[in-house]
Amino acid sequence: MGTGTYLDLLLAGLVVTVEVSLLAWIIALVTGSVVGVMRTLPSRTASAIGFAYVEFFRNMPLLVQLFLWFFVLPELLPKSAGLWLKQMPNAPFWTAAIGIGLFMSARVAVQLQAGIGSLPRGQKLAATALGLTTVQTYRYVLLPMAFRIILPPLTSEFLNTIKNSAVAITIGLLELTGEARSMQEFSFQVFEAFTAATVLYLLLNFVVVTAMRFLERRVAIPGYISGK
Amino acid sequence: MIEINHVDKWYGPSFQALKDCTTSVTKGEVVVVCGPSGSGKSTLIKCVNALEPIQGGEIILDGIKVNDPKTDLPKLRSRVGMVFQHFELFPHLRIIDNLCLAQEKVLGRKHEEALAKGKKLLDRVGLTEHATKFPAQLSGGQQQRVAIARALAMDPIAMLFDEPTSALDPEMISEVLDVMVDLARDGMTMMVVTHEMGFANKVADRVIFMDRGEIVEDAKKTDFFGKPRSDRAQKFLSKILQH
Repeated sequence: MGTGTYLDLLLAGLVVTVEVSLLAWIIALVTGSVVGVMRTLPSRTASAIGFAYVEFFRNMPLLVQLFLWFFVLPELLPKSAGLWLKQMPNAPFWTAAIGIGLFMSARVAVQLQAGIGSLPRGQKLAATALGLTTVQTYRYVLLPMAFRIILPPLTSEFLNTIKNSAVAITIGLLELTGEARSMQEFSFQVFEAFTAATVLYLLLNFVVVTAMRFLERRVAIPGYISGK
Repeated sequence: MIEINHVDKWYGPSFQALKDCTTSVTKGEVVVVCGPSGSGKSTLIKCVNALEPIQGGEIILDGIKVNDPKTDLPKLRSRVGMVFQHFELFPHLRIIDNLCLAQEKVLGRKHEEALAKGKKLLDRVGLTEHATKFPAQLSGGQQQRVAIARALAMDPIAMLFDEPTSALDPEMISEVLDVMVDLARDGMTMMVVTHEMGFANKVADRVIFMDRGEIVEDAKKTDFFGKPRSDRAQKFLSKILQH
C-alpha cells in the first residue's frame, strides 16, 4: 500500500459510513415526517399518497432498491440526464444516502403515524377550537408530543440506518464494511479485518444510543409517562 | 349570539346524530344541555364551532354563518372558548405556555402581552403558583381550571363546555363549577353540556333536554325543573335527581 496503515483504511471507511448514514437519516426523518403526517390528514388524497409511498418503499428489499437507483434509473432517464448521473463524482455515495434514506423514510412515516394516532383525539380538537390552523396544530401541539412518544423506536431506526449502510458496498461504496473487505483481500486476515469492523460498528452505535438516551431525558416531560 | 336552525347531522349514511335541531342562545344567557348519553348533546355543541360539520340547516354565530364554506373557521373558532371533558391541555407545555400559545399564534399578541393576560387569568382561577408546572403535575380539577383560563385568554364572545366535570373525582367537581358560576354571573354567554343539575339550577337561564338526536325540551329553568312537559325528560330527571 504505502499510503497508510490498515487502521487508516478502516477509519476512512468509518468516516464514509458515518457520513452516508447521517445524510440518509436526515433524508429519512424529513421525508418520513412529511409522509407520516400526510397519512394522518383527513384529506383522502393526502393519505392515499402517503399510503402508496410507504408501501412502495417498504415492500422492496433495500438491496433491490439500491440497484434500481444505481443501475436502472440512469437507463430509464433521457440520455443526457442518465449520462450525467453515471458520471457524477461520488455517485455510489449519493445513491446510497438517498436510497437508504428513502427506504428508512417509509419506516419513520409509519412510526410517526402511530405516534400521532396514539394522541387523544381531543388534542387536535382543542387546538382547532382555539383557532389554530391545521399546520399550527401539527407544529405546536401534535408533533412535539408524537415525536417524544416515538423517540425510543426512532433510536432503533437510526441504528438500522447505520447498519443498512453496509449494503452500499454492493454499489461500490468503500464504507466500513467495504474497507474491511479490501483489508481482508490485501492481507488475507479475514478474522482480524471483520473483528475490527465489528468493534467500530459497535462503538459507533453505542455513541448513537447514548446520545439518544440523553435526548430522551432532555425532552422528557415532568409528570408525564416516564418523565420524572 | 348563537342560532341553531333546523340542523341535521349524520355520521355515515345510516346514523343520524342530530335531527332538525333548532334553538338559540342570546348574549349573556347560560343554557344547559342535558340528556342521556348518545343523545347528541356533545355533537350539538361541537357543531357550534364547526368541530363537527353539519349536513343540513344552519348555525349562525354572532352574525356569521358557521357552515358557509367562505367562513374563516380558525378566526371564528378563536372567538369562541371551548372546554372539554378531558381538559386537553397540551402536555409538553408549561401551564403558562398553554395559556399563551393560541394568544400568540392565532391572535398575534406579543409574548409579554400574552404572558400578562395569562397570569391574570391564572390568578382568576386561583392557580398562580402553578404557572411553571406541566399539566401532568396538576390534579384533574386544577387542569380543568387551567383549560377554562386558556379559553378565556382568547377573550371569547361565548364559551362552550362539553361535560366539563364528567371526568373529575367528586371532590374536584365543585372547584370547577365555582369558576363556571363566577363566569356565568359575570355575564358570559355559555352553552354547557352537563349532568350537574345543581349547576343548572343555580345559574342556567334555560335548559335544553335532548334525546336520540332531537331537542325534546327547550324551556326556562324554572319550567324545566318544575314540570317538564315530555315523559322522557321527566323520567330522565327522576333518575338523576333521586340521589
